[in-house]
Amino acid sequence: MTFRKLTALIRKEMIILLRERQTIPLLFIMPMALIFFLSLALQGVYMDKLTGRQILLIIENESHQPTANLLEQRISANKMIQRVQRPPGFDNDKVFETSRAHAVIFIPKGFDEGLKPVEMEFDPVLDAGYKSAVRVLVTGLTVEVVMGIDDIEGMSADFIVEKTKTNRTLPGPLQNSVPGWSIFAMFFIAIPMSIGFLREKNDGTLQRIFTYPVSPAIVILGKLIPYYLINLMQFALMLIVGIYILPLIIAFPFTLGEHPWHVIPVTLVVAAASTGFGVMVAALARAPEQSSALAATGAVLMAVFGGIMVPHAVMPLIMKKLAMLSPMYWAHQAYLDIFSRDAGFGSIWPKLAVLTVFALVCFYIAGRKVKWM
Amino acid sequence: MKALDIAQVTFSYNPKEGKIKTAGAEYALRDFSMSVDSGQMHALLGPNGAGKTTLMRLITGQLRGFQGSISIYGTRNDHAQSLSSVGYAPQPISVYAGLTAMENMRVFGVMAGLSRELLQERSRAVLEETGLLPYAQKRASTYSGGMLRRLNLAVALLHAPRLLLLDEPTVGVDPQSRNHIYETLKKMNASGIAIVLCTHIMDEAQRMCSKVTMLDRGAVIFSGAMNEIDHLETFFLAQTGHRLRDED
Repeated sequence: MTFRKLTALIRKEMIILLRERQTIPLLFIMPMALIFFLSLALQGVYMDKLTGRQILLIIENESHQPTANLLEQRISANKMIQRVQRPPGFDNDKVFETSRAHAVIFIPKGFDEGLKPVEMEFDPVLDAGYKSAVRVLVTGLTVEVVMGIDDIEGMSADFIVEKTKTNRTLPGPLQNSVPGWSIFAMFFIAIPMSIGFLREKNDGTLQRIFTYPVSPAIVILGKLIPYYLINLMQFALMLIVGIYILPLIIAFPFTLGEHPWHVIPVTLVVAAASTGFGVMVAALARAPEQSSALAATGAVLMAVFGGIMVPHAVMPLIMKKLAMLSPMYWAHQAYLDIFSRDAGFGSIWPKLAVLTVFALVCFYIAGRKVKWM
Repeated sequence: MKALDIAQVTFSYNPKEGKIKTAGAEYALRDFSMSVDSGQMHALLGPNGAGKTTLMRLITGQLRGFQGSISIYGTRNDHAQSLSSVGYAPQPISVYAGLTAMENMRVFGVMAGLSRELLQERSRAVLEETGLLPYAQKRASTYSGGMLRRLNLAVALLHAPRLLLLDEPTVGVDPQSRNHIYETLKKMNASGIAIVLCTHIMDEAQRMCSKVTMLDRGAVIFSGAMNEIDHLETFFLAQTGHRLRDED
């Protein structure tokens, strides 16, 4: 009988929730739109950080001697460079003003003889990092051609080695956005959840249920389980969209990493944290309008601090430390461990422990305020 | 047999130091006693804030921590069995607006412990009784005020309770719906169900009920047979005064 009561309450909650017009857009379409548009918006930023932006470069070779020609050829062939032509009648100032090129390289007559150096001029607004990179590139290539070295990078490989760690790699826009906005959507469930709680409190149906022989635990579970299940569905849907649809539109892949099954315990715990947040909001607010404002503001703040809206890796140190106050940060880092860092469960469980504590605190606060139930 | 027996109930929403009877505590009910016989229709009257709704909520187990005792057909009201004997139609229309009448019946019927077959049978019966059967598959949010009141009553009748508690069952409804509700209540009462009717409509109370209990500021100020009273409204005002109770 208890199970029948529980399933009747879950069924009731699901029907009401799915019949509300705003639920599906709020819980499913909004996060998909956010993932899509924000990944698209951040694509350029990531392109800079991950693959490097190509520099639009005008190369003018006045010398036409073998060394000058070789230099021109090597610069043009470099993947960092996109060679463009100077529009007729444009001097360097006009080229930069109209963003036709970021830099101009001029190889003068007498270069081969060592009489004149290569001239470089940069767009004044070009990032110092790019200027430096182009300068190093041209310097390196000039040394190569002048000294007759085929591959200076290959020669120096014995002396300089770049070390990378997978867990320190900046995740791509989809690797970052798909779990990030899924978490955001999962926490957004606090809005319909708290509104539902308070509406039932205000219209008296919650109190009426308690006039029947049914335990408060069943009533509370009957309200929590549907939202918990919706949280799981949200994440599954976002993941499917992330894997199969978004890479077709955005020029970055989304991969599940080496241990995709770790997603299951992480998602179960994140869903507990987000439903806990919803119950806490419902317990603290007095009216549905208040709960909706509280839940939305809370979710946005947690997203801002938690590295969902602005990637944690690009935050200043103070923000990186503040991020740890947001449960979304721990959830996001747990997913990044799985999808982007191929981390083992040993790296994930401390994050799950933090989220579990957050969920328990939320349920405890709601329990203390449970009088209204 | 006593359908409802309330003996010296005292209740405060803000008990001092966790004790109910303490100096300084504000009482919603104080030494309140009342009994309703089986098959009786009993009026519970009082001005706003007198403690009527609090009493209903104590009887139905929504509020706890009172002193005294409340028994329903001889069983204390904190037993599940006694709750199953009570049908309660609260003053606010407490049904799920997003569900149809039949879906509402299913939720509340399962909570009351009705079997699948009985639930089906009782749902049809009470919806027919309240004139809602033709609208059983429509969402409650599309109902008029009168239909919602009848649905509120139908939920209370669903599990065939032996004691019916009605808190302002006809407030805000048109004369047709009110008449329909009265007729339903008369039939229920004639079938042996005890009814406690809480209302501000004195004519309604005088016509329908055989006994009356008046309370004010949480205490009984009159209890007796309805036929001892000539004009209930005049008597009520004489007992409770003419002063407005807006700030009480």
